Amino acid sequence: MSIEVTNLSFRYGDIKALEGVSFKLGEGAVGLLGPNGAGKSTLLRILLGFLAPEKGEGTVLGYDIRREQAAIRRAVGYMPEDDCFIAGMDAVTFTAYFGELSGMPRQEAMKRAHEVLFYVGLEESRYRLLDTYSAGMKQRLKMAQALVHDPKLLFLDEPTSNLDPQGRIEVLQLIEDVASHKDIQVLISSHILADIETLCASVLILNKGKLAAEGRLEDLKAIDYSLFEVKVKGEDAAFRKDLEALRCRVDETEDRLIKIYMPAGMDRMEVFRAAARTGVQIRYFVKSQTKLEDLFAQVVGVD
Amino acid sequence: MTPVIETKNLSKWYGNVLGLSDVSLEIESGITGLLGPNGAGKSTFMKLITGQMKPNIGAVTIRGKRVWNDYRLFSRVGFCPEPDAFYEDVTGWEFLTGLLRFYGFTRAEAADRATRALAIVELSADKDRKVRSYSRGMRQRVKFAQAIAHDPDVMILDEPFSGLDPLGKRRLIKLVKDFESEGRTVLVSSHVLPEIEAVTSRIIMIHQGKILAQGDIHMVRDLIESHPHMISLRSPAARAVAAAFVDDASVLKMTFGTDGRSLVVETHNRDAFFSRLQAVVVEKGIEVDEIDSPDDNLQAVFDYLVGK
Amino acid sequence: MATIREKGYYHWDGRLEERRFPWWPITRTGIQLAFRKKWFKFVFAFGFSPAVVFLVLIYISERLEDFKSMFGGKERLITVNPKFFMDFLTNGFLVFIIVMVLVFAGAGLIADDLKHNSLQIYFARPLRKKDYLLGKMAVIFFFVLILTFVPALVLYVFKLVFAGSFRFVLEYPWLLLSIVGFAALMAVFFAFYTLLLSCLSKNSRYVMIIVFMIYLFSQVFYGIMQSIFRTPYMALFSIYENLLQAGAFLFAQKPPHAVPVVWSFLVLAAVCATSALVLTKKIRATEVIR
Repeated sequence: MSIEVTNLSFRYGDIKALEGVSFKLGEGAVGLLGPNGAGKSTLLRILLGFLAPEKGEGTVLGYDIRREQAAIRRAVGYMPEDDCFIAGMDAVTFTAYFGELSGMPRQEAMKRAHEVLFYVGLEESRYRLLDTYSAGMKQRLKMAQALVHDPKLLFLDEPTSNLDPQGRIEVLQLIEDVASHKDIQVLISSHILADIETLCASVLILNKGKLAAEGRLEDLKAIDYSLFEVKVKGEDAAFRKDLEALRCRVDETEDRLIKIYMPAGMDRMEVFRAAARTGVQIRYFVKSQTKLEDLFAQVVGVD
Repeated sequence: MTPVIETKNLSKWYGNVLGLSDVSLEIESGITGLLGPNGAGKSTFMKLITGQMKPNIGAVTIRGKRVWNDYRLFSRVGFCPEPDAFYEDVTGWEFLTGLLRFYGFTRAEAADRATRALAIVELSADKDRKVRSYSRGMRQRVKFAQAIAHDPDVMILDEPFSGLDPLGKRRLIKLVKDFESEGRTVLVSSHVLPEIEAVTSRIIMIHQGKILAQGDIHMVRDLIESHPHMISLRSPAARAVAAAFVDDASVLKMTFGTDGRSLVVETHNRDAFFSRLQAVVVEKGIEVDEIDSPDDNLQAVFDYLVGK
Repeated sequence: MATIREKGYYHWDGRLEERRFPWWPITRTGIQLAFRKKWFKFVFAFGFSPAVVFLVLIYISERLEDFKSMFGGKERLITVNPKFFMDFLTNGFLVFIIVMVLVFAGAGLIADDLKHNSLQIYFARPLRKKDYLLGKMAVIFFFVLILTFVPALVLYVFKLVFAGSFRFVLEYPWLLLSIVGFAALMAVFFAFYTLLLSCLSKNSRYVMIIVFMIYLFSQVFYGIMQSIFRTPYMALFSIYENLLQAGAFLFAQKPPHAVPVVWSFLVLAAVCATSALVLTKKIRATEVIR
């Protein structure tokens, strides 16, 4: 268990930023979601060891969140949302510098800085001044300084915002690779749900200071009944009638997406047979899951 | 359909730096997505459409009238720019009503429209606070409000969803889609391609100052011949399916997933493939978990055209 | 048998340790960044010129016989005593050069971090606020001490070398302490002064100008007030004059102004206290995550 907290509460004056938040995080990338003002930054501050909670206990990587805050910050890597760099330095100096500040000996920090810069894809530009870096490169640099001291836990705050489509995909691939290592736990806070779906196996959804949902995405998104989404080429009226005759409920949404609600016990092969019978070609066939966006809306209790 | 926005041979340079080169387009009513890498010319294009700059060659017309210097036309265009540009010391209310007065509305009309716009973006509770105290998401919503408050029938939105949380995005996406059904014209630009896909399937792609692609994204995909179509299949009998296609000449490549349950096929002839697949599934009783086209989306089209 | 190295992420097998001086990398980096600025090296080198002049004077004072012809009776002016060292450490040119060094090396110390938002990544490390501030201050300590204490020490040693005996030490046993004390006072005062201004703005060029202007203006202001009001208390307005007063006290000399020396110390201390307050408020570690 890399993070375990029970009953965290914190108030800013009258405002209850967090109330009774408890969870345990194991392996795999975890997404932290929530509307603005839900308490995400407060939670991150407590987990990173900047703030002691008013009530509640917890450990991050085995260190107590009240008594061993410096130890937490030593073992954790943080990639902030805003751009941050030091003018007049090049990437190697920058990365090594922050490695040293985390407690690495100077030569080790230098060696490791090069390694990490290769890993994040900045090998060609690592001797250039940071002032000349593009937005995508700055994101990678932030990732490099978060990884240089080999943290066991990585916090990434909006890692893909403000990047152009190419940059976004490249950063996503980088995060996917980091998250694929079993011994690094990654916690990602992002408003771009598509990215959370790509990267994370589980999510924590906060709303108004409380934990609104928590668990593996697969489990949260699963629907109990058999609902399939299908797209076909060809005239689909006959196809739909055929399925309805088999006691399915069939809906068609815009975009020509056909939703088929199958009764229990029916074999999905029937869908293909129906297609063959009515002369349509199935081009898209997926067992329906709630989209993360809908899950989010449901859980946050709106709409 | 008559186009709402039309450009002919539109070109713009900044000194000798290229902005746009020879862009001829017709944008119809409804929602069109505008995408391109950084520096491709998107903001130049938007500035030319909203009349903030004069083109070097060519012209932009909205409903047949040239945009440059036609202030009457501006009242029918709403622009939500990307950077933050506010008077920090006024309240949200003052900001909106102030801008509305510029359009020539009376004080009463301006107040009325501002109220409605603020209600739509859900900022009514914070309208009397200074803009300086607004969070990023709130500033974005005020920007959006000023773009819609004067009821324009053409809207140009540059990164309208940035800084919003998922719920905020969802609301604005719904709002933008409502505009389409009201017969307005919307041009949306964003770097987050899934967000564009959520609002429209019509796109314009700009790269290096020129139009790289235009139209419905699925049709654009069909036109890209250099990349054969990818079709993915998940099934416990994936290899059995593959076996059935090994001697099919229209299948160019087959890749097996490491979990033993997935297969990705590349082919130039989707029609033939799907027909055959259906037949094989029914004939051999293959249990299918999923059939999908992984590269029939905006990101893939973008990658193929911009050529990583 | 063969092995290959796979691409991808590798772990580091070292241990992260708490070093004895956690602020040291900050200081070292601050000094390195200062030297990378184009004109800094020249200004810095220039700051040693008063030391060279005073060194020559010491040499002359020891070999007065050789130079008797040049001075013709005025030899007594060059006596190496505490006043001599005080003159060296408080001479206007030296202090001016120190301020210029601060402008180049010190103005951006905190301003740049505020501008580029790097406080977030600093404090994501196990770094306390006081380590950060101490590290920045140490940059200024370094430059001030190297331009004041080190040359003064060299002059002291050379005096002994040229004199050929330790008589000087016995004559003025507490002189070394005065040197240390005054150099430390300058270092601490200038550190607080510069960092106070550096944390108030995000634009380091602006801070550079302000660091310089306030020093200059304090002197000009004193001159104007003095000519209007003709009271020695106006000297408390000028940074330089306050330093002179403090120096006179520490070297047991007569203060240049008819103002109790304790007032000058209070003014200098007040600046340091204000600075400490403002710095602790400005550098808020919890702001790391907004």
